[in-house]
Amino acid sequence: MPDKTERTSAVEVFKAIGRFFGDFGEAVAHGDLWTRLSLIWMGAGYARRKKYFRAVVMTLFEIFIIWFTIAFGIRYVSKFGTLGTVKPEKVFNMQTMKNEWNDYDNSFQILLFSLFTLVVWLAAAVIWFTNVKKAYALQKLAEEGKHISTFREDVRDYIGKKFHVTLLTLPVLGVVIFTAIPILLLILVAFTNYDQNHMPPTNLFSWVGLQNFISLFGGGSLGASFGYAFVRVLGWTLIWAFFATFTNYFGGILLALYLNSKKTRLPKLWRTLFVVTIAVPQFVSLLLVRNFFSNGGIVNTICARIGLTGLLRSAGLISTSYIPFLSAPGWAHVMIILINIWIGVPYQMLISTGVLMNLPADQLESARMDGASRFQVFRHITMPYLLFVTGPALVTDFVRNINNFNVIYLLTEGAYTTTNQVLANAQAKEVDLLVTWLFRLTQDYYNYKMASAIGIIVFLICAAFTLIAFNRMIRGDREGTYQ
Amino acid sequence: MKIMKKVLAGMLTAAMLCTMAVPAFAGDESISLTLWGAEEDQALLKELVEKFEEQYADFSFDIRIGVESESTAKDTVLTDIEAAADVFAFASDQIFDLQKAGALATLSEYGAVLENLAGKTLDDVKAANAAGAVSAATVDGELMAFPMSADNSFFLYYDKSLISDEEAASWDTLLDAAEKAGKKVGYTLASGWYNSAFFYGAGLTTGLNADGTTAIDWNTVSPDGISGVDVTKAMLKIAAHPAFQAVADGDLSNQIASGKLCAVASGTWDASAVQKAFGDGYAASKLPAFTAGDKAVEMAPPFGYKFVGVNAYAENIGWAILLADFLTNEESQVARFLQRQIGPSNLNAAAIDEVQENIALAAVVEEGNYGIVQMVGGKFWDPTATFGEKIAQGTIPADDDAAIQAALDSLVEGVTAPIE
Amino acid sequence: MKEKEAREIHKVKKLKENRTSTIAVHNIVIAVLAVIWLIPIIWLVCTSFSSYPGMNTSTFFPAEWSTANYAKLFHPDTVAQFPQWFKNTFIIACFTCVISTLFVLMVAYATSMMRFPMRKPLMNMAVILNLFPGMLSMIAIYFTLKFFNLTNSHIGLILVYSASSGLGYLIAKGFFDTVPRALCEAAKLDGCSEAGIFFRIILPVSKPIIVYTVISSFLGPWMDFVFAKMILNAGISEKYTVAVGLYKMLDRSLINNYFTQFCAGGVLVSIPISILFVIMQKFYVEGMTGGAVKG
Repeated sequence: MPDKTERTSAVEVFKAIGRFFGDFGEAVAHGDLWTRLSLIWMGAGYARRKKYFRAVVMTLFEIFIIWFTIAFGIRYVSKFGTLGTVKPEKVFNMQTMKNEWNDYDNSFQILLFSLFTLVVWLAAAVIWFTNVKKAYALQKLAEEGKHISTFREDVRDYIGKKFHVTLLTLPVLGVVIFTAIPILLLILVAFTNYDQNHMPPTNLFSWVGLQNFISLFGGGSLGASFGYAFVRVLGWTLIWAFFATFTNYFGGILLALYLNSKKTRLPKLWRTLFVVTIAVPQFVSLLLVRNFFSNGGIVNTICARIGLTGLLRSAGLISTSYIPFLSAPGWAHVMIILINIWIGVPYQMLISTGVLMNLPADQLESARMDGASRFQVFRHITMPYLLFVTGPALVTDFVRNINNFNVIYLLTEGAYTTTNQVLANAQAKEVDLLVTWLFRLTQDYYNYKMASAIGIIVFLICAAFTLIAFNRMIRGDREGTYQ
Repeated sequence: MKIMKKVLAGMLTAAMLCTMAVPAFAGDESISLTLWGAEEDQALLKELVEKFEEQYADFSFDIRIGVESESTAKDTVLTDIEAAADVFAFASDQIFDLQKAGALATLSEYGAVLENLAGKTLDDVKAANAAGAVSAATVDGELMAFPMSADNSFFLYYDKSLISDEEAASWDTLLDAAEKAGKKVGYTLASGWYNSAFFYGAGLTTGLNADGTTAIDWNTVSPDGISGVDVTKAMLKIAAHPAFQAVADGDLSNQIASGKLCAVASGTWDASAVQKAFGDGYAASKLPAFTAGDKAVEMAPPFGYKFVGVNAYAENIGWAILLADFLTNEESQVARFLQRQIGPSNLNAAAIDEVQENIALAAVVEEGNYGIVQMVGGKFWDPTATFGEKIAQGTIPADDDAAIQAALDSLVEGVTAPIE
Repeated sequence: MKEKEAREIHKVKKLKENRTSTIAVHNIVIAVLAVIWLIPIIWLVCTSFSSYPGMNTSTFFPAEWSTANYAKLFHPDTVAQFPQWFKNTFIIACFTCVISTLFVLMVAYATSMMRFPMRKPLMNMAVILNLFPGMLSMIAIYFTLKFFNLTNSHIGLILVYSASSGLGYLIAKGFFDTVPRALCEAAKLDGCSEAGIFFRIILPVSKPIIVYTVISSFLGPWMDFVFAKMILNAGISEKYTVAVGLYKMLDRSLINNYFTQFCAGGVLVSIPISILFVIMQKFYVEGMTGGAVKG
């Protein structure tokens, strides 16, 4: 059901913006006194048309914005260009046993609150423009002698044709404050020198342009180590995301098929046993598995006892007195993917089971009667159906795995020491994903600027991948298909 | 556009609410302080805080004690200095980062507080504590924290039923004896705190530059005529011995408890675990000597301390200073030793009989003759951990001088990298 | 007749396939897989009953069995205050679950059933925001919460877990997309408002998706330790969630005395979650896949 009003091509957007301001211009040009007064007093238009409740709301809103700007916003936005210049100074007062501080700047606070203020201002501007247009619309209605909606009718609108406003206000507000503003903030940090030498409140940081991105790609004072580490970590991130996604996907489907087979006795019991592994929180199960496979852990003890360690050692596969399951490159990479299968397959099995239950039974039956082998049925009926239904989820899973912090962090943090000096010099490890690397950079080295730069790169990779995958896999909008 | 309007209007209301939620500080009837100490210290801190409140009974306090391990204090404090505790305990190697971030109060600025209310001067504090502890707590000539303990180093625990005191004196005899006994010697190579003991012993050094970067000369020849290559070769030889077990940093106590070891390098914090594992054979001494080139070299482990620092941004900073001083005075250090067997930095506290008779502390004191104060910046740890891991896994060829030199050069490059 | 014959042949074939030997092999394979999957879980349970407080690295089963770890969990010391943590997490999870479910359903309904000019731009924004690594915004979220004076408070944690939950609306939207449009059109003709449709028509048929959203948002606070650790940074043990508390037990200086208690805590957390999963399994699966499957 493609909807013409919903087109979002760039042209349409610009047209919409143009219309928005065009209408505003018309309102100002042709509005009467009260409409024009709305430019200064936002409640004017409503007050004239006896919509007193709205008039009061808009007036209070205006007062709030002015107060907010003077008392809060302007203090920070005025320093946005420099991110602050006054360092903290203090004098100790023996009487109060307290320090008396000067009014010092905190670069991070300036950045955060400026951003916050700018978002509020943007919102206020949109409301201000719209308000004038509304006043004009009301004026026109009045001039034409048409009915002007009453307060009760307005309220009813919010559970009627404007119900989406009621529904979306709070969720969008939550997303703006807790996701959008923080992300914008860290995008900005990527263009500053916020690091251990410039940490608020004692020190200030400032804008440095593209310097961090230059360092990331091997230029700048850091030499090649950051660039090298970036390429290595990016490579493993992509390999990991690929294997983690597809092993889980096909592992889950195979397990589901196997359990769904008529030959399985007590399928419910088996399924439940697998589901139990999902129910153990990851930080418990992964930390446990990490200790299970640690250099001095139980698996190593058993391997040494049965002579496996000695065998591998004499075969030249290991040089240590233990099997470095999670402590040597190669070994650790394979183990991480295997452990991820352990963690993820039951979950994927649940999804696949649900999908398979709805597999069109008539198709299966007729294919069987035509003498198709089980593999052929799987290849030509089951798999295409599964791919059709769960294909889009594959894309989101891939993106989620690029950002899969838990598995890598819990399995390797504090347990894996790299033997690659160049990587170590950039605080990276062979098993790091871009997200775990940036997490360590912020947690242990307070290197927020590099972490933010890496974060932006992660975003670009995910965005590029998603765009390509969605365009290839899902042509057009699927949402109308079933309606 | 309507929806945006509503959304934004809602947002503004929320913004209004939060501006009003910023607290105004209540009247100063009760002095509120926050204090961070290690998990294991909680009971002790509670007692000490009660005593502190008794001592200043004219004032009413509201002191909240939180849990923050001394080894991770820096990380939590630096994430948000203003939200960190007013008084916190930390390990001495964190002092440079904390000082640079402006998290620590410069104690001399508050000398008047100590004089007026505790009846002592800052010089009294300095004189009461071991000189090493005071110098480690001093940055740029200013005392930045109160010394709390002086045992943050490592030494050799061994099972004297299997290894004689003479055998424990050098790596060669120690490892051979362990092999004969069918047990292993545990040492943490993959950590710049442990593996630097070999290099420091040979007379190689690290230092801290004014800009926070680390100076290191491990790829050169020391004044004693021992090169970094010689030290690395000696380490590789030790690591290749069948009785040697490289233990991951943090896995030490597990390994001790496993009963596979007959000797291990660790600190006082593992004393009770080792005592349990070795039973009657429990013994401790300085670290064994090793042979670099053709010289016998004594290891020189970093000798660290635990400090109590005062947050420079503390609200009631004067009281915070008093509390920090109280928690580290002679009486408190004695109490800390009696409860937790932690070696005092206070000279009088260290002189009491119980301290003198403690086996592990005696080893620390002996080790103190060889130990040095480790001066390094943040970029020291990852590269040195990796270097140690390479030795542990034997990925550097033991007979290839050029390869070892290259590995050392690369290590030095990483450690000396600028702080970006 | 031919069809019948074919069916007969098919049946015979099936019977052959289902010979006992192949069935046995089939089930043995499943059993082996199940054992592999359960080994770490069994180890977890066994270790939680060990009398030795540290990690057991020499034998799979503990040398000495005891229930002391569970007893200790319920007699809190300064480190382990498990009952308190459990209560905290439960409260946080309940609020998170209510708010998240509401938000998800609200956004899903608006984007699926209604048409308004900002719909597509908002949906595109959601896709873009979902691509940023969440870890990165942690420090900014922390300072935002601090500004609201909500760090070290459970309200702050609830906000962190639920405020942005609207972004996860896609699965629920997929589900709503399958509800026949005609149903809503008819209701509208009967004079039903959008709110009426939402409450009277959509919600009653959305049981699977509600269960799915409830379970997944309820589980969040039990699993997350990164955000919780950052926001509960005053070191006050009584305020911890289960995840933070248990995670801190593995601190280097504590692990040797608390590892088995950590395991016992892990078991105690897993039991209610397992039960929830097993009971709700059917709805959960339906909710998760319902959007695409129903058609």
